[in-house]
Amino acid sequence: MRSFTHVTAGSLAEACALLSEAGGKGRANAGGTDLLGVLKDGIHAQGPELIVDLKAVSGLAEVSREGDEVRIGALATLASLDRSTLLRETLPLLVQAAHAVGTPQVRTMGTVGGNLCQEVRCWYYRYPRHVGGPVGCLRKGDGPCLAVKGDNRYHGVFGGRGCFAVCPSDLAVALTALGAVVDIAGPDGSRREVAVEDLYEPTTLTLAPGELLAEVRVPVPARPTRQTFLKFTVREPVDFAVVSVAASLDRDGPGCRDARIVLGGVSPRPHRALQAEEVLRGGDVDDQTAARAGEAAVAGAKPMRHNAYKIGIARTLVERAVRACLDA
Amino acid sequence: MSDEYRYIGKPTPRRDAPQIVTGSATFFGDLVVPGMLHAKVLRSPHPHALVTEIDVARARGLSGVKAVLTHADVPDWRAGTPRHLRVLDSTVRYVGDPVALVAATSEAVAEEALGLIDVSYELLPAVFDLDEALAEGAVQLYADSPGNVLRPGTRWFGPDCLTGLAIGDVEAGFAEAEVIVEGEASYAGLPNPLPPESPGVVAQWEEPDRVTLWLSTQAAHQEKMIIHAAFGRAVDVRTIGGACGGSYGSKFMSIQLIMQATALSRAARRPVRLGLTKEEHLAAFGLRIGSRVRAKVGLRRDGALTAISGEWLVDTGHYSLTTQAQVAVGCGEAQVALRCPNWDLRTKVVCTNRPASGIVRGFGGQELKACLLPILSRALAELDLDPFDFLRRNYVKPGDGYFWRDGRWYDYRGNDYTPAMDAGAEAFGWRERWKGWLRPTEVDGPLRTGVGVGVHGNVDIGESVSEAYVRLDPEGRATLYSSASEHGTGQPSNLLKMVAEVLQLPLERVTLTAADTAVTPYDMGPVGSRGTYAMGSAAIKAAEEARRQLLTLAAANLDAPPEELETRDGRVFRLGRADSGAAWMAIMGPERTIMGHGRFEPDFTLANCMMTFVEVRVDTETGGTELLRVVNATDAGRIIDPAGLENQLNGCLGSAGIDTALFEETIIDRTTGRVLNANLIDYKWRTFAHLPQMRNVVLETPVDSHRFHAIGVGEVSTAPGPAAVLMAVSNALGVPLAEYPVTPEKVLAAWKRAMDAQAGEATR
Repeated sequence: MRSFTHVTAGSLAEACALLSEAGGKGRANAGGTDLLGVLKDGIHAQGPELIVDLKAVSGLAEVSREGDEVRIGALATLASLDRSTLLRETLPLLVQAAHAVGTPQVRTMGTVGGNLCQEVRCWYYRYPRHVGGPVGCLRKGDGPCLAVKGDNRYHGVFGGRGCFAVCPSDLAVALTALGAVVDIAGPDGSRREVAVEDLYEPTTLTLAPGELLAEVRVPVPARPTRQTFLKFTVREPVDFAVVSVAASLDRDGPGCRDARIVLGGVSPRPHRALQAEEVLRGGDVDDQTAARAGEAAVAGAKPMRHNAYKIGIARTLVERAVRACLDA
Repeated sequence: MSDEYRYIGKPTPRRDAPQIVTGSATFFGDLVVPGMLHAKVLRSPHPHALVTEIDVARARGLSGVKAVLTHADVPDWRAGTPRHLRVLDSTVRYVGDPVALVAATSEAVAEEALGLIDVSYELLPAVFDLDEALAEGAVQLYADSPGNVLRPGTRWFGPDCLTGLAIGDVEAGFAEAEVIVEGEASYAGLPNPLPPESPGVVAQWEEPDRVTLWLSTQAAHQEKMIIHAAFGRAVDVRTIGGACGGSYGSKFMSIQLIMQATALSRAARRPVRLGLTKEEHLAAFGLRIGSRVRAKVGLRRDGALTAISGEWLVDTGHYSLTTQAQVAVGCGEAQVALRCPNWDLRTKVVCTNRPASGIVRGFGGQELKACLLPILSRALAELDLDPFDFLRRNYVKPGDGYFWRDGRWYDYRGNDYTPAMDAGAEAFGWRERWKGWLRPTEVDGPLRTGVGVGVHGNVDIGESVSEAYVRLDPEGRATLYSSASEHGTGQPSNLLKMVAEVLQLPLERVTLTAADTAVTPYDMGPVGSRGTYAMGSAAIKAAEEARRQLLTLAAANLDAPPEELETRDGRVFRLGRADSGAAWMAIMGPERTIMGHGRFEPDFTLANCMMTFVEVRVDTETGGTELLRVVNATDAGRIIDPAGLENQLNGCLGSAGIDTALFEETIIDRTTGRVLNANLIDYKWRTFAHLPQMRNVVLETPVDSHRFHAIGVGEVSTAPGPAAVLMAVSNALGVPLAEYPVTPEKVLAAWKRAMDAQAGEATR
């Protein structure tokens, strides 16, 4: 591992200031479950010169309800989401998604902010430097995306532009289905809000140097909704999603007032399946509707050579998630 | 049944368990040799290239760097079959092939130095699979191996080493057949056996020609033999093996690391530590061989095989250490599992531009069987024959025989394994669960359950030579000098049980020396399930010989001939007179030790057997496959250690075993030649959080091996599973599959074929 300066920040403002000063050469560290792998594999041409440890920043690990919102501090661990009674009662989708991540050890260390901001799992992007040098790619600003001609079995089927790595975060998928926003702190004390799905751009996160996630705000549905998170992995458990889906249905007897269907593992960002939502919204929902929603969810998918199988899995997962919402 | 014994067959604590569970066991990572330097390897980014220029001046100038080596300044040591593997070569043949070596005062300095080395390459075309390597005009990896085909056979197995099977008359055999099927299957996922501890070595060179090696190894003497040959037999080699964090055979592939650490130590005049990272272990170390078989099989309605002919192509990657030996053993094992009077099986070992394949448990037979069984299944399906009945019928029986790896015929004198197979089928419920070929056992919407069965057996349970010493001390203690490394199986603890049983000493009064070729006698090591019979025989004989000397010495003292004496708990007394007699101290005096020597000679007339039944559930909408149940059935002759055996059999899933049919594979990028999944997220490795129901059925039919009538079965537990899983998935889907592993992509494609075929039937 290349050497760097390590500073423990006492506050979010201090962390933002330090990282802003470092320009693009600083990295924040919360649980470290992703960052350490990135550093040890030396996947970037230049390693960070500064690591700012956030673990000592207080007040950012709470999960609380304020009015119609649940507020989740960026340093809340995945384990704390997994065992939160508040979430279990108000936003069970988040509990399911948090539980689907990694191992108990990873969930104990890993944070909400880290899960949302982790680097992609693309195996070209992640190739370890010490076994023949790192792989350059579009995402690194060094050449084309190698997945296009290479082995793209885990890459996207929707919305790739140049880079076809998929958003690896399970939480982002669930949070998008819940209409959550992230509150981003800037180096000058500023705050801005973006929808969770808008955190992800085709080759990077929207965060500027010196910007850090402060918290996630999730609206509590006015009426209880049916929520289901499903994740298909090659290995179970401890794996990233080949495809995942988060579904939230606002039921009205046999009908459905509103629905949110979001796919993970298929796109650089959480993928709103708007056509599937359209199928579900308004009318009665039954097994046939669920199947049609599955079909609609994958309309317009553009598979590459090795990942067309993801489409069938996505269709199935949407159908099953909707059915699970009916049964719930 | 085991009441006649004090320790054999009884649960006893494993000797190293307290150290392992308290974290105090010393593994390779804990090893510190005074003055030790740390080495790092610069690796090629190209799958095939000539190294045209290397500039190491800046690396040599870095403070803390003690040696930098390139192909231009390393000794001409060579290993492999043929001797293709050098310390460093001017041609690189896979992504990750070593280009330069650095030894420095710390790993960080060594790593920094690697970044200061400039290399120029002239790129060559690369071949990544059998078809490319064997194509007309393909680039050659080695000038002495035209067509990328390596010389068949290995000198280790003698001049008649099996390089294929030519037995009987296949044409006559096919004429007798009631069904003939031709097909192709491949087992080419190149899984990594992946012992938890990655390979490593510390080398300490002493001028002019001596090296001491501390190794993560399962067999110190076998390593020494390989290394000694690699050094042109001109170096005095001492190898020391400590606790080994797993091997599954693969640690023998450390030979290049060993040569490199030795060269660095010689250059730096300091001990040098070279250990692989997990990523290097996954991307630049030993994989299972890649196999493709095209075969024609003839079968009679009564389940008798009449002829098998075909070709077994073996992809060994950039070089072979033992692949030809694996071909030989595989050909032998095929006859053990599939009695057939007529064979014509040809083989080729082929080089490709990827990390090397080599020694992994299952050693050739697992791979050949994984390909033959799917082809045979099609013949069985045509005659509607139950695969269990077929495998049961055709497994070697007393009175049969086989050509073993050395090309010689051996008459089999071991157990009939039919009762063990029957017990396994009973435990699994095979008769109820088997619904016929390509028929699921249960269907629940998209979830379809299927069953499969496989079998494997190995004659190498009695291979090669083992020696051991047992030393008796007057204090009533004994020491076993054996080159048995603890590589996870518990075998050293079992050897101590055998010695304690012979000497009738309390178990805790028998101890084991560390494997050290300067101290412990020759032993091939615990490979091929030979620990129980071969190594056990040497330990038993050494203990018996020591006991004989003790009783002879005591005869004068106790005024009775040795044959009327016995020893127990450190005393010698007349038979049945435990209250009399004398302590060892009184007999030996304080200034004497007794040393017994035991030697085991090769015996290829016994074979073990493992039959594995599996049940899987396939989701036809996601392509996911879940392994629900596994039943392993065997006959161990006599169980030495129940818990250890249970663990060995439960090990059937990993170490490139059953899971190679489900999700374990090394994924090599066809465009860059890189191993894409060199991490434990993308290399799918089962965790303890996700285990199927396991049941192990072990019979104890005494076998004529050594005095405890036991044979080893650990190694083969991985071998029958992959073919069984492929059969089960094929049955669940109703579509024959012939490729491993059954990824979601393959399952969904197969299911689509089945649906399309059904739709075609319907419209006809």
